[in-house]
Amino acid sequence: MQRIPIKLAKPGFILAKEAITPEGQVLCGADTELTEDLILRLKKQGVLVLTVKGHPVRLPGELPLSEKLRELDRRFSKVKKDPVLKALETLIGEFWIEQEKGEGYLKRLKSQKS
Amino acid sequence: MDKEEIRKRLKDVESLPTLPPIVSKLNEMVADEDTTATKLGKIIEKDQVLTSKLLRMVNSSFFGFPQRISTVSNAIVLLGFNVIKTLIVTSSIFEVMQASDVGLFEHSLGCATAAGIIAKRLQIKNPEEVSTAGLIHDLGKIVLRSELPEEYEEIVKITNEKGLYIREVEHQRLGIGHGEIGGMLARQWNLPERLVIPIEYHHKPGSSPDFKDITAIIHFSDILIRALGFGNSGDPWVPSLDHKAWELIKFKKSDVKEIISELDEKLVELQDFTLEIKKDA
Ligand SMILES: [Fe+2]
Ligand SMILES: [Fe+2]
Repeated sequence: MQRIPIKLAKPGFILAKEAITPEGQVLCGADTELTEDLILRLKKQGVLVLTVKGHPVRLPGELPLSEKLRELDRRFSKVKKDPVLKALETLIGEFWIEQEKGEGYLKRLKSQKS
Repeated sequence: MDKEEIRKRLKDVESLPTLPPIVSKLNEMVADEDTTATKLGKIIEKDQVLTSKLLRMVNSSFFGFPQRISTVSNAIVLLGFNVIKTLIVTSSIFEVMQASDVGLFEHSLGCATAAGIIAKRLQIKNPEEVSTAGLIHDLGKIVLRSELPEEYEEIVKITNEKGLYIREVEHQRLGIGHGEIGGMLARQWNLPERLVIPIEYHHKPGSSPDFKDITAIIHFSDILIRALGFGNSGDPWVPSLDHKAWELIKFKKSDVKEIISELDEKLVELQDFTLEIKKDA
């Protein structure tokens, strides 16, 4: 699942969540496949962001997951001893992993191990 | 250079864009009890450029208003005069920042977004003020860059070479940090203390004399946005957490998870906003 600015949406992408205007109006549901027309219409209605299935777009400046996690670790390198910040780092890492691999990925991984 | 000298240098910040003349007029009007949001809005709307900038800011995702705000008087009613005034006072500063330091601009927008999310969660009164405090929390850095360019360049150089926090180097070289500098300036501009104090104390929220909750929120939002690697605030390191401030907000893991997810979504929208601004610039 990935959230992308609507500018980067392409026909063939499949919505993972409903398309919503900034005012909260639902325009179409999850599992809808995007078409050229639909994207135009959503733009016109003011939709800014779409949540789509998989990870179809590498956003400008976005790093691959492994590198993202390495950078995260580096940013925290001065505060390794703080348990609250340690927990924050773990949460962010897990959030990114699940975002890329799908919700529930870490849980499944854990249950496989045990 | 010592603190006093810097204080003097900042007393009449000349190379910084001057305050829009409209500000003193507005201050007078606000002091007058008969002034209404509609009257204030009308005055501001005479300046079309300012109005369009203002409306773009108030409609951007970091305030996260569900409905579109289309007039200045509406903006005043919904966000409060403190917020509108701060946006007007700092509008030219943000222009400078967009042009000279996009990374810091993104860091500021990101911090504003995080602060707004957290303030709403903690049910702080007028969360938009907290967002605004987040928006301008690193004001001191912009001032340093434009007022003491050589020193600033030196500070950045040392920060990178030695892998330090930029704040440490500011203190080493100037005896004062960007928090204090930003606070000084904000006070000089008569911004409300509710905004001045969080700017001043965002790196030492434990010593903040007042508005401790807002200061703690800005402190943590700064940490959070750096942790996510969004924007660039002069060094890449996550700052240390002040545990006295953390006690005031102290989220459970599940809360932080929700905050991260909400923030992430807003940051995507924010990228849209910054792309739009870059295109216009
Ligand atoms: Fe700062
Ligand atoms: Fe900051």
